[in-house]
Amino acid sequence: MNVEVYRGWFIAGSLTLMLVAATPALTLFINMPSGSERFSELWLLGPDKKAEDYPFNVRANETYRVYVGVGNHLGYSAYYRVYVKFRNQTQPLPVASNATPSTLPELYEFDFFVMDSAVWETLLKFKILDVQRSNGFMILKSLSINEVTYLIDGFSAWDSVRNGFYYQLFFELSLYNMTSRRFGFHNRFVSIWLNATG
Amino acid sequence: MLIRVGSPESGELRRALSILRLSFVLMLFLVMASQFFVSATIAEVGEDEGASGLIDAEEKVLSAYLAVLEAEKTGANVSVLLVRLNEAGEFLARAHVEYRLGDFEEASHLADSSRNIGIEVLNAAIDLKDSASSEGIQHMLFMMIASVVGMASIALGSLWVWYFLKKRYGCGFSKAN
Repeated sequence: MNVEVYRGWFIAGSLTLMLVAATPALTLFINMPSGSERFSELWLLGPDKKAEDYPFNVRANETYRVYVGVGNHLGYSAYYRVYVKFRNQTQPLPVASNATPSTLPELYEFDFFVMDSAVWETLLKFKILDVQRSNGFMILKSLSINEVTYLIDGFSAWDSVRNGFYYQLFFELSLYNMTSRRFGFHNRFVSIWLNATG
Repeated sequence: MLIRVGSPESGELRRALSILRLSFVLMLFLVMASQFFVSATIAEVGEDEGASGLIDAEEKVLSAYLAVLEAEKTGANVSVLLVRLNEAGEFLARAHVEYRLGDFEEASHLADSSRNIGIEVLNAAIDLKDSASSEGIQHMLFMMIASVVGMASIALGSLWVWYFLKKRYGCGFSKAN
């Protein structure tokens, strides 16, 4: 059997080895798509950094704690903004279907930067400062978020189905858009329901 | 001097007194009005300063962020810069909050802190990008040279092995056996 018979195999093997040797240089010029989905996470945790024991029945002049967090899976270091808003049952929430934020004014806000595949988490303390209760309704006059006091005049009618005066503290996520060069609602929000008990 | 009611002197005096009274009232009004306008102007300047300070801080923080992104693209480790940017972001967020609450002085003060960190990060990001770029070029050259040397070695090695095999078994394996 002549060695010339194996010439083709030998050349193919050599070329394969050469290709392997060229791989480090090739990776400099060829960007392989990662294939993973690009997205951001937004979450809310209770006072023990767990998804439990969220504040619900709230009283005036008591401090409540929640943790708000954001995870970045966008493939680059992102610039986020979280707006903290407060509403009663009739006031508008963000609309996920057409990616519009709530029209309610923002109370508190967080501006922060998160590396790709990293997370950001912070504590938010809130306290109801002044509340006025009458027959069938409640007016929550002022609220403190991270030691900043807001006059809000939050009216809530008695909810006879769920037995309480309900409010909602919610967090909207905005992302700095590199194309439009401005912040835009990132179509994510989280919230907790609060039953003001007086 | 004795002034008699109804005399021409008393009429002149009455006119003079009324002019004096009118001047006094006008002066009082002007003093009060000027105080109002001055305080309104001061408040407006405070708001304007707060707003311009905020816009300036936002621009600096954004420039710093974009510079950090550029540095990141060149392969630099930007984690330390992002920690500083987060401090700037904290100040900026608080400045927004204070501005909305009407405390323009505090907003301006916080915006200044944010702006200063933004400038610091911007400069650091430009330096980091430059050093990362030169490191990247060195790395690229090393990789390319290593690849070319590797490929050439494999090609030459293969030729050598082929000629060795041809010389050894050129007449056929059966003969070798």
